[in-house]
Amino acid sequence: MSPVWTNPRPFKWALGVLAVAACLGLLIACRTPRVAPQEFVADRTTDGGYDQVLRGRKLVVGHACGECHGGGDDDPAADGWLAGLRKPEDEFRIGPCAASPGAEPCFRTRPRNLTPDNTTGLGRFSDRQIFNALRFGLRPGETPDVEITSTIPGQGNFPEHPKYLAPPMPWPAWRHMSDQELWDIIAYLRRGLKPVRNRVPDSEGPPDFWASEFTVQKIGAFPATPFPTDNERVPTSRREQVVRGRTLVLNHACGACHGGAWTPADEGWLAGMRSPDQEFCPSTASAEKCLRARPRNLTPDSATGLGRFTERQIFNALRYGLRPAETPDVEITSPIRGQGNFPEHPKFLSPAMPWQAWRHMSDQELLDIAAYLKHGVKPVRHKVEDSEAPPDFWLRHYTVERVIPYPALPFPTVNETSGRKP
Amino acid sequence: MIALLLAVASAAVGESFPAPQDTLGTPPVLTNLARQTGTVEVRLVAAPARLSLVAGAESDAYAYNGRVPGPTLEVWEGDRVIVHFRNELPESTTVHWHGLHVPFAADGSPFHPVPPGGQRDYVFTVQRGTAGTYWYHPHQHHRTRDQVAKGLYGAIIIRAPNDPLAAVPEKLLILADNRFLPGGSLDITDPHSVQGRVDAENGREGDVLFVNGQIMPALRIRSGEVQRWRIVNASAARMYRLAIPGHRFLHVGSDGGLFERPVETDDVLVASSERVELLVRGSGAPGSQTTLQALPYDRYVPQTRPTDWGLTRELLTVRYANEPPLQVPIALPATLRRIAPLDTADVTATRVMVLTQGFINGKVMDLGRVDATTTLGATEIWQIENLVGMDHPFHLHGFRFQVLDVDGVPVAYRSWKDTVNVPKHGTVRFIVRFDDYPGKWMFHCHILDHEDHGMMGVFEVR
Repeated sequence: MSPVWTNPRPFKWALGVLAVAACLGLLIACRTPRVAPQEFVADRTTDGGYDQVLRGRKLVVGHACGECHGGGDDDPAADGWLAGLRKPEDEFRIGPCAASPGAEPCFRTRPRNLTPDNTTGLGRFSDRQIFNALRFGLRPGETPDVEITSTIPGQGNFPEHPKYLAPPMPWPAWRHMSDQELWDIIAYLRRGLKPVRNRVPDSEGPPDFWASEFTVQKIGAFPATPFPTDNERVPTSRREQVVRGRTLVLNHACGACHGGAWTPADEGWLAGMRSPDQEFCPSTASAEKCLRARPRNLTPDSATGLGRFTERQIFNALRYGLRPAETPDVEITSPIRGQGNFPEHPKFLSPAMPWQAWRHMSDQELLDIAAYLKHGVKPVRHKVEDSEAPPDFWLRHYTVERVIPYPALPFPTVNETSGRKP
Repeated sequence: MIALLLAVASAAVGESFPAPQDTLGTPPVLTNLARQTGTVEVRLVAAPARLSLVAGAESDAYAYNGRVPGPTLEVWEGDRVIVHFRNELPESTTVHWHGLHVPFAADGSPFHPVPPGGQRDYVFTVQRGTAGTYWYHPHQHHRTRDQVAKGLYGAIIIRAPNDPLAAVPEKLLILADNRFLPGGSLDITDPHSVQGRVDAENGREGDVLFVNGQIMPALRIRSGEVQRWRIVNASAARMYRLAIPGHRFLHVGSDGGLFERPVETDDVLVASSERVELLVRGSGAPGSQTTLQALPYDRYVPQTRPTDWGLTRELLTVRYANEPPLQVPIALPATLRRIAPLDTADVTATRVMVLTQGFINGKVMDLGRVDATTTLGATEIWQIENLVGMDHPFHLHGFRFQVLDVDGVPVAYRSWKDTVNVPKHGTVRFIVRFDDYPGKWMFHCHILDHEDHGMMGVFEVR
C-alpha cells in the first residue's frame, strides 16, 4: 500500500484531533436514580476548572482540529464547530486513489463528531480513552479504559493488535504534546463544548486498522529523541527558546508535510517534499486545475531553505500567512488587508499550509518556532520547486470574511458552554 | 379469535396421501431417566468425537452424547430438571442453559468450570410461563467460541400445557456455520494471522451453513400446510436474516416463547444466540420447491466487512409435496398468551452499559471483579449503548427481560428476551426484574469471539 498520507485530492488540511467525551446527563429523562457506567467519571487531570478549559480551547484552535472535524475553519463560533463530517464531499480518500482516482485500495475516512453528545459524539468515552487516542492513536471505542503503560504493541498493556485512528488524523504529532496539554484539550471538549447530535458514518480502513502504517519505523519514536539529533544543531544562544520551538514544531506535525518525517531524528526532517507524491492540491482548485502545493524546505539553508529569511518574516508567515519572500521584514500592525502596514496586495501561502490555525499560537510560541527553524536545525541543501498559485496569490481565498475572526472570538461562543461542570 | 387462513396438516383432516418426508434430521430428545412425573433426569457427556461434519471427510470435533448438535432437552413448565453432566474433554468446560431462569450454581457460567474428567449436576426447576425455545452450550471463559465451533451446542424446548399452537406440526431448526480446511479438519485460525484478527473483530464466521448439523437439507411441506418452526441461532457470530422468496412469515415468538400477538413479516433477523418461532405456510404449488435463505445483513465495521457479505445464502430446501393443497383453515387466538408488562413504576435504577469493540464500560471482564450490584427483587431499566459501528447481541444471564425501545422507538410488541441485538451506534433499553436467584451473573456480547475476549461483565444480585 502506498503511504497513507499520499496527496489527498481534493486537499483538505489533514489535521484534526480526536477528542473527548463527557457524560452531560443527556440520557433519557427518568425519575429513577441513574447508575452511571462504572467509573465513567471525570478524571482528576481534567478537573482543572475554567482556566483549563480555556487552555484546551487554545490548543484545539491552534492545532486546526476544526478544519477537519467540522466548521471547516478554526472559528469556535462557526456552524458545525467540531461536530464532525457533514458532507460526503469532505471525506478523505486514503490510499492509492488519493493520487489516482479509481485506484484501489481506497479508504474513505471521515472526521468524527468531537462534541460530547452521548450517542453520536464522544460523550460516552472516558477522559482516559480520549487521552489514549491523542497520545497513542488508539481508537477509543476499541481500547480499554486504562492507563497505557507502554508504547509498543504487546508490551505492558499496550494492545497486542492495536486499532489506530484513521489517517489523516495526525496523532503521531499530537502525542508529543505534554500530558497536561492533552488533558487540557480533553477538558475543553468535555466541558467547553455543547453536545451536537450528528452521526458520522464510520471510517473505512484496512483489516489491521492501520497498524502497518503506524510502526515506529514510520512515525518515529515516542518520546522523541532528545535535542539535538543528527538533523539538529545546538544554537550558540537561546537554547531554551529553540527547544521550546522544537516541541511546537514536533507537535504541530510540521515535519509530516515538510519532508515526510514525524520526528527530528527521521530522515528528511523539515527538508521539504522529496517526491511528487508529497504534493498537495488545495481544495479550492478542481482536480483538473490542480495548483500544486509543495511543502518547502524549512531548514536554514541559505539557498534552498529559510536561511535568507528573518525570524520576523517567518513569524509573519505563521501569523498572517504571508509568503516570506514577498513580505517586508517588518512587524505587521494589523491583521486586515489595507489596514496598518498589512500589505494592500498580500501574497498568501498556499491553503495547504494551515497558518490560519497556527496563527492562534501566542507571539512567543511563534517566535520560538522561528528560532528553532533558524538556529536549531541543520541546513539541508534541497531545492523544492515553488508552489503553484493563482495570479492573486490566493487573495480571493483569504477574504476578510474568511480570515476574520482573529483573534478567536472570546469564550464561550454559541457552540460552547460556560466551561464549568454541569 | 382472529381468523387466519392457516391450515393444519394432520391425520385429522382425513387426507389419503402419505405424509411428506424430510431429509432434515432432528436431534433426538435426551432420554428421561426419572421415574416420577414432573422430574426430568438426563445424562449429558461432552467428549471428543471424530465425526463426518461435511461429506467425504471426518473432523475432530467435540460432541454432546456423541453427536452434533447435541440431543434436545425437552421439558415441561414446572418440571424439576437434573442434568448429570460429565466432562470427557481434554479441557475445562461448562454447560450454560441459555435463557433459563435457574439458580446461580446451575447457570453454567465461567464461575463454575468443570475440569477434564469432572462431573457436575445441574439442578433447576423450569419456571411457569417460560415455555419456549432455548439452547445449551459451553461458557468456559476464553474457550467458548472454540468449544461451540467444535460442536458443543444443543436445543432446549420447554412446553406448556396451554400452548395455543400445540396442534401445529413443528420443526426444530438449529442454525450454525463452520469453516473447514481441505481434508475436513476444522479451520480454527491462528489468532495472530490476518484471518484470526478478522475473526476477533467480526466473530468467527464459516462459509458452510448447517441446519441441525446438515448442509442444505430438505424440509417437506404440503401446499396450504402450516408448520411451526423453532429456530435457534447457534452460530458464534453469524446473524441470519431469514426469508423464503415469495413467502411471508407469521412471527409468533422469540427467545422467551410466544408473543402476545403474531406479527406478519417478510423476513426476520436472528442474531447470534437468539431464537425465533415462525408459522410458515406452504404457499407454493405442489411439486415445487424453494429455499430458506439468509439475506445480506451488514453488521460489520468497514475495516473487516467480508467482501462477500452481500451474498444471499441458502440454508434449507423447502420441497412441496406433490399432493393437493390442504384447505382446512384454523383460527389463531387474538392473544397467543398474556405477557404481563414489567412496571416501570417499580424501577429503582436505570443502568447504562456502554458497548465498545471488545469492552463493556471500557473494561474487559474479570471474574474477580463485580461490575454492578442490585438487590433481589429489584426492577431496573438497562440502557445498552453501542458506540461502535458493529452490531453487538447483548445477553443477560439468568433473568429474562422486556425490550422497551430501540433508539428511542418503542418496540411494536411485548415479548420475553434474554438476548437483544444492539445495532451499530444504536441504543436499546429493556426492563428486567431480578427475582428468585441471588448470585453473580454474566452479561456480555454474544459474538463468541468478543465474549472470549472479555466483552462481558459480572452483575451481582444480593
